[in-house]
Amino acid sequence: MRIRGTVEFRDVEMGVWVLAGDDGKTYQLAGGRSSLLKEGQRVEIDGEVDGAAMGAAMIGPVLRVRSYKAL
Amino acid sequence: MRSRWCLSGVLLLAAACAPGPAHTKVTPPGTARVSAVPHALVVDFRDGTPAEAIADRARRWGLPLHLNSVEGLRSGIAIADGVDDVDAALARVRGDAEVEEAEPLVQVEALAFIPNDPEFPRQWNLRMIHMPEAWERSRGKGVVVAVIDTGIAYEDREEFVRVPDLTGARFVPGYDFVNDTDHPNDDNGHGTHVAGTIAQRTNNGVGVAGVAFEARLMPLKVLDRSGLGNSADIADAIRWAVDHGAKVLNLSLGGPGYSGVMERAVAYARSKGAVVVCAAGNTGLGQVSYPAAYAGAVAVGAVGPDGELAPYSSYGEALDLVAPGGNTRLGPGNGILQATLDRADFRKPVLAEYQGTSMATPHVAGVAALLFAAGARAPDEVEKALFEGAGSGGAWTPRAGHGRLDALGALEALGKNAAPVDWTPLAWSAALLVLLLISLKTKVRPGYLNVLLNPATLLPLLLSTVGLWFLRLLWQRYVGHPPAAAEALSLPLPDWGRILFGRGRLASPLMYSALVPAAAALFALRWRALRPVVAGLSLGFAGFLLYAAWAKAPGIAYLPFTFLARPWLVLNGLLAALLCRPMLRKEAGR
Repeated sequence: MRIRGTVEFRDVEMGVWVLAGDDGKTYQLAGGRSSLLKEGQRVEIDGEVDGAAMGAAMIGPVLRVRSYKAL
Repeated sequence: MRSRWCLSGVLLLAAACAPGPAHTKVTPPGTARVSAVPHALVVDFRDGTPAEAIADRARRWGLPLHLNSVEGLRSGIAIADGVDDVDAALARVRGDAEVEEAEPLVQVEALAFIPNDPEFPRQWNLRMIHMPEAWERSRGKGVVVAVIDTGIAYEDREEFVRVPDLTGARFVPGYDFVNDTDHPNDDNGHGTHVAGTIAQRTNNGVGVAGVAFEARLMPLKVLDRSGLGNSADIADAIRWAVDHGAKVLNLSLGGPGYSGVMERAVAYARSKGAVVVCAAGNTGLGQVSYPAAYAGAVAVGAVGPDGELAPYSSYGEALDLVAPGGNTRLGPGNGILQATLDRADFRKPVLAEYQGTSMATPHVAGVAALLFAAGARAPDEVEKALFEGAGSGGAWTPRAGHGRLDALGALEALGKNAAPVDWTPLAWSAALLVLLLISLKTKVRPGYLNVLLNPATLLPLLLSTVGLWFLRLLWQRYVGHPPAAAEALSLPLPDWGRILFGRGRLASPLMYSALVPAAAALFALRWRALRPVVAGLSLGFAGFLLYAAWAKAPGIAYLPFTFLARPWLVLNGLLAALLCRPMLRKEAGR
């Protein structure tokens, strides 16, 4: 699936990169190239939402990134 | 002017060592010990009494009076020590027109334990939940706390390091469910930070302190280097933990997805007598994440040093209570400080301040360990004490649950709710007595009441089945919170082993055996007058052990006994009954 949004760093737990989705949801980013992780970058991500994933960040569903496109 | 005095240097209120952000800290009532300083008194002169006038009176009264401090000239407060008869001196002093008040000098000592860890003053979170006062009552001795997380930096092995401040902390074997090894080392730092809050090595002059520093940590790795994992590994780890003796499970993890497998694992842990403490989540939304939202779990939200729900903390219907998790928006010094691994390089130990409901959760897990060590026997009892101690007066709100965690409050609530004496072992002994008497020939059979009304038999019988139960009650009524030794003596004799190891510990297989009555019986071979005593003792042990076997209680220490516990109890119960039988016999033909 494709989700648009803004890449943000959130200072909770060990620190976590999220996609503040245009759908109003916050996704924890997993995988993808390091160039994705730029504060404030507008992107469209192609990936899978892993609703069953558990983690230390607990900030929202995990979005496993296949690829992304800067907007 | 109040002449309420404290001897400088003795007053060690926790608040005194609280720099950094201002957090009001009031020592709760009943946490200070006041005692008279021998041969010393304090005199409060009228304000503005000249120094010469005071010196003049000191000569007249024959007292070595000197002003207490530079303030003395203004306040008129003077003390005298080395006074042989304080009462007589006070009688002389009190008649003087210039004297407002005179009394024996008292020493005020806060009943608080201030550890010497150099960074402890920065741990506002521990003061917020009244740890210095709570440490006077319990430190979690012996209770096993499982940290189900990214692992713990507990050993120097291969590429992994141990965090220096964990040197000397107590560990039990754990497991790495991510890599399937017996070495659940941390390659992330999250689990080490969490474990530190629970049982960091404390009062060792290094780094920081932890909540239940005499507890034992069980490292279980279920999250990988990036802090992610799956419900299968977590459910496995929950079951593994309780099957290996953990009484408290800390899960500073979660996700939005419901998992029936994990829910059943949480229910299993609870049914095995363990408390499952979970982070509420960091979404900042009104929905608690899983596993915290499962019925058997304690869901913990986070507050900052101001006591307000932290902006990131999840809350809602499933929230049970809140604990310090930090709020770094309030500036540096407002996170939770712990020893951990550098987030950029897991081979490098650092002290780091993080915020999150993950940081709040281990405070609750630590206090749960304190409660088990202080005598709580079941998860219900622990949760009741946690919620009552949180001091919201029973009120529950979606943003605070039952209120903010308070270690001292929880321990006090546990004391109030102390389980009543269990008289069942005594009933079992009485039933056994009937059986034993029936098995004796009429000629040598004493009457039932003849046995029970003999104090030499009755006292050891009571001692070994219900203990000096009144000791704890009397202590609470007339003295206050009983010390650990009085608590232990109020237990049945087979449980006295816990005087040494703490009440939360598993029972000792030697005390839960026929050893004590057998040893006593050896003496009775030589001194026949001891026979009624041995009869009571062995009858009590027989009833106690057989009842324990029947009630599937308790866990017995040392591994081979986990599955042998019941056969062991039955065998020893029967042995004790056999020992009792000859002791009951009347001397035939005499």
